[in-house]
Amino acid sequence: MIEVKKISKNYGRKKILDDVSFTANKGEVTCLIGINGVGKTTTLKAIMGLTPYKGEILIDDQKMTKDSYEKITFIPDAPTMLPQMTIKQAMVFMSDFYTSWNPERANQLMGFFKLKEENRISELSKGNTAKLNLMLGLSLDVDYVLMDEPFSGIDMFSREQIADVFASHLIEDRGVIITTHEIGDIEHLIDKVILLDNGSVLKEFNTEEMREEEGKSVVDVMREVYQS
Amino acid sequence: MMRYIKLVNFEINRFSKIYLSLLLITLVSQFAGVIFVTKSLLNDARDIMKEERLSEAAYITNYGSLDFNHIANTLLFVGPIALSAVALIFYIFLIWYRDWFGKNTFIYRLLMLPTSRLSIYLSKATAIFLMVLGLIAFQIIILPMENALFNSNVPEALLNEMSISTITIANPILSLIIPSTFTQFLISYGTGLMIMSILFTSIMFERSFRIKGIIMGLLYCGIAAVLFLAPFFVMEFGNFYFYPNELFGLLLALGIILTGLSVWLGAWLLKNRVTV
Repeated sequence: MIEVKKISKNYGRKKILDDVSFTANKGEVTCLIGINGVGKTTTLKAIMGLTPYKGEILIDDQKMTKDSYEKITFIPDAPTMLPQMTIKQAMVFMSDFYTSWNPERANQLMGFFKLKEENRISELSKGNTAKLNLMLGLSLDVDYVLMDEPFSGIDMFSREQIADVFASHLIEDRGVIITTHEIGDIEHLIDKVILLDNGSVLKEFNTEEMREEEGKSVVDVMREVYQS
Repeated sequence: MMRYIKLVNFEINRFSKIYLSLLLITLVSQFAGVIFVTKSLLNDARDIMKEERLSEAAYITNYGSLDFNHIANTLLFVGPIALSAVALIFYIFLIWYRDWFGKNTFIYRLLMLPTSRLSIYLSKATAIFLMVLGLIAFQIIILPMENALFNSNVPEALLNEMSISTITIANPILSLIIPSTFTQFLISYGTGLMIMSILFTSIMFERSFRIKGIIMGLLYCGIAAVLFLAPFFVMEFGNFYFYPNELFGLLLALGIILTGLSVWLGAWLLKNRVTV
């Protein structure tokens, strides 16, 4: 379980996160939702140790160490490999540094996304870059996957392909934390929603309970919260 | 350890094209220097001998013999050394900033590797240090060839043949990069390592605190410089005198302390304060 306990973060005088707390379980998809600038990406970066913060974050009851990067991976919305690399070289780089790299899964995802090993990263379209990021992240045998706006700026067909990955066995046993604006693509796959506003948790709910008890979808709740 | 070595290899590979270009420029420029400058020196000598009706022996008496120092002091010889030095100093900054800026943010991947941040810091420092040593090794290899080429082109009567050690001692730049004693090696390369670690730490300050970090980085550089040069200030303003051995010992101790402190602080900032 990922436990985020009362984390706060300032950029200069601006408060980005203010006592944010939530948990994300293995085998569940947790979605961080909020309008731009509410601190979704900063929360993911804090979990990954990519930005300093006040508070505590535990991964399976342990603080983040170098070995945690074999257990948890972050898929940002920007390419994380050198532009001059080919996809093949990026895969070799990953297998060189991560013991959790799973080459069979990588090949499976390469085929699924129709990516070619010889393609240079700098020449990939936005959609294919997102797919490459996803392929590199999901080919690690990790317990937790953090994704930042995986659907941002990509076409409908690529979105559908990525959404299919969420529904597949590639995700099912893992704990996923995702930030997205394109909630409609994966709403049916989300287990838990954390609504952020002005750096704080505004509402936290289980999507199934919300549907069954109040008859509301995630989008309904978002409208209620952000338009009130 | 293996990941550290892989990172060093990765960093060297990333700079390999520019690095090989520097080696090629050095090779071509210095050999061109030997050929063209030797030709020009011989033409000048012959012209003088013709105009003043001098024999070779008389020419040497009046103007001196031709030695490799004439080559080693030319722009074609020293220029590529200076260019390589500037490129590597520039690379101290580029090796960090290129991971943050540009279309692809490789720093995400680098900081998410299952290896300590100290390894990442040290791998970049090691890559630069190895590249410096590589350039020097290359210079040491080609210098005897250049000297042999010069000696073969100059008539024996006009030639003052120099050994490699004499050439390096006589030339201020070569004596700096190719030290003749272990003490000189410690001074040249120890100072270089210390400066690199101080600059790395200043970069970490900037990456951690952005605009405030620039001021902190500059302050850190200033404080480090004052600390390292403190024995000289004491001698200048404190009416105190250190014997050369004492001075060397003090500088060595201060250099080790400053390098160690810079590496520790830089790695700590990279682990705890740096923002991607």
